[in-house]
Amino acid sequence: MMRTRALLATLTATTALLAACGYDATPLPKAGDGPAASAPASPGASPAQCDNATQSYAADNNKPDAVQQLTNKGRLVVGVSGDTYKMGFTDPTDAELKGFDIAFAQEIANALGVDLELRVILASDRIKMLENGQLDMVARNMTVNCDRWTQVAFSAVYYNATQKVLVGTDEAAKYTGPASLAGKRVCAPTSTTSVANIKEIEPDVIAVEAANHTGCLIKFQNSEVDAITGDDTVLAGLAAQDPYTAVPQQEKLTDEPYGLAFNKDDVALVRFVNFVLDQMRADGRWTKTYDEWLKPTLKVDATPPAPVYGR
Amino acid sequence: MSQTATPAAAPPPPPAAAPASAAPAPAAAAQPGTSYVDTPALLNRWQLIGMSVAIVFGIVSALLQFVGWQADGRAADDTEQLIRVQEVKTSLLRADALATNAFLKGGLEDPAQREEYDVEIDGVLGDIANAAEAQSADRNALSALNVEVTEYATAVAQGRDNNRQNYPIGAEYLNTASAELRATALPILDELIRANQERAEGAMNGQHPIWLFLLGVAVLVALVWLNRELARHFRRRINKGIAVAAIIVLAVTLVTAVGAWVRDSSNDGLREGEFATAVSEAHARTAGNDAKALESLRLIKRGSGATYENDWTEAAKGVADSGTRASGEWSSYAKVHEEIVALDDAGSWQLARKKAIDVSGAAFQPFDDATRAAIEKNGEVATDDLRSGRWLALVISALTLLLGVAAAVAVARGIGERRREFS
Repeated sequence: MMRTRALLATLTATTALLAACGYDATPLPKAGDGPAASAPASPGASPAQCDNATQSYAADNNKPDAVQQLTNKGRLVVGVSGDTYKMGFTDPTDAELKGFDIAFAQEIANALGVDLELRVILASDRIKMLENGQLDMVARNMTVNCDRWTQVAFSAVYYNATQKVLVGTDEAAKYTGPASLAGKRVCAPTSTTSVANIKEIEPDVIAVEAANHTGCLIKFQNSEVDAITGDDTVLAGLAAQDPYTAVPQQEKLTDEPYGLAFNKDDVALVRFVNFVLDQMRADGRWTKTYDEWLKPTLKVDATPPAPVYGR
Repeated sequence: MSQTATPAAAPPPPPAAAPASAAPAPAAAAQPGTSYVDTPALLNRWQLIGMSVAIVFGIVSALLQFVGWQADGRAADDTEQLIRVQEVKTSLLRADALATNAFLKGGLEDPAQREEYDVEIDGVLGDIANAAEAQSADRNALSALNVEVTEYATAVAQGRDNNRQNYPIGAEYLNTASAELRATALPILDELIRANQERAEGAMNGQHPIWLFLLGVAVLVALVWLNRELARHFRRRINKGIAVAAIIVLAVTLVTAVGAWVRDSSNDGLREGEFATAVSEAHARTAGNDAKALESLRLIKRGSGATYENDWTEAAKGVADSGTRASGEWSSYAKVHEEIVALDDAGSWQLARKKAIDVSGAAFQPFDDATRAAIEKNGEVATDDLRSGRWLALVISALTLLLGVAAAVAVARGIGERRREFS
């Protein structure tokens, strides 16, 4: 009897030892270990007010002073978009940056007699990189407003865009205006004015942010958002890439006058650029550039915006 | 049953006296202060104790050796699994480097590069399936990884499709896929690598020479005690059977403890030698491939690659910290990378891109080849060594069990001899 018990005890111990050989399951990384999901920025302090947002410094053909203000000798470093179809995008066929904004940057570099260096930047980096002296100019569909004038300097307006909404083709006919977006998920890039604008017009909109407008289109294609809001120039470029999207006939939500942005202190550079823009308006290069890049997608004729000086 | 009134050391009762000793039993019970010992019962008890000790020694010693043998096998399996999941990480990063490089180049994708990308992704999916088969504890993590890899491959395919239609959203799909790969898939792989490295290193500690030695000593002490008790009762200094059992136990203990110690030392050598080399070379290879992909991403972000450059520097630090033996090959590639960065920072993006496409890949290849070869060679040596001599360990384990039984038989015979003397 005792022998049987001893044998049983030994067998039990053996089984326990062998069973202990199994491993615990490999843990999965804890949620939150990765980068935080993007969330719409909380509204900051109330924006600066002014009545001359589109007013820039008077044009001046003083090239030496302008060149003097470039951060790098012999180079105009310009921050542009790399994914805004027709405005500033990397052409997949040759990996070259092309578009309406790029054409303006090239004209200005030519006029300054320096090489053009393009840097693809995010909308959220525009002001920061100008302030840090990493860029001489930003040509990235940037809206001129009073708030931004407190941080950077703008050229005269070189294009008058308007904010609109892009929806799926099946929703386009039913779209009657911002009220149609109540309770819907609407995407706009981080750090642009678009999110604040649409929330102001239709507070029931669920704002979703992405790094850029193309990121918004990916979210739209993955059914993560129902609509995208942004400038008509940008939305036309998005719609051109996806036949199941449309920019329906609609009232503009806001005016979005585009200016080329500079470091606040580079006034001589701004004045020279305004001189170049005046020339482009006068000799038809503005219209030629518009016709080449934006007219095929916007499908309307446009005239160059009249410059406002006096700042 | 017979009882004997005993003084502390009772003389062995002569055979003729035995019947006489049975008679006074009731009287003995009546004498207060005198103790009696039931010698046959005592002999039975000692026999049971001696045999049990010998058998338990055989079983536990054999078991300890078996567990050690099993641990070595597990260490080999865990090492293979570790190398497998590291290969998955490397292949994913290499696939990402190939995909980003194709986008950087622009135009139609190079068919050879596309094929290489497909091979890497196929390899990743195959390795995930094999890894899930090999280690059940990894299945949940591998299942989650499988989802992430599928999403990555889908996003790259969507990027490629859009790219072929000249839509810039293609590049954004690629950027998103690369970012998601690093944010979601790589952390899972890091957990898998950490878990399997811990398992392999832990399993290499599965030999227990001290336990075997202490077990032997404990059993020897028990046998010596038993012999002493017998000597007290029967005035024979040494019981032949117990002595034989003790010699068996001593021999088995010496052989198995020394064997386990040799094996343990060998495992220590492996852990700090070939195993460590295989692991560090795998770390170097994954960090290197990460850096290569980041180089392309930097250039795709055209002149705004400071973020990617910080990441590249971090990855390069990972290569340096790994202590790879392919540091010469890495330096050659790193030099080319520095030239690319210098060109890009100086505003010559076109030249930087050209160098990345034409020179950087070729400069990186020797590093990738050297680390891959080092991983394969050292991994193989480690697993082969861990699996070597397992049949011998099994034979010794079985022999130990048999010798335990033999020792028990010797104890039984030794005590049986006393019983015969007694009766």
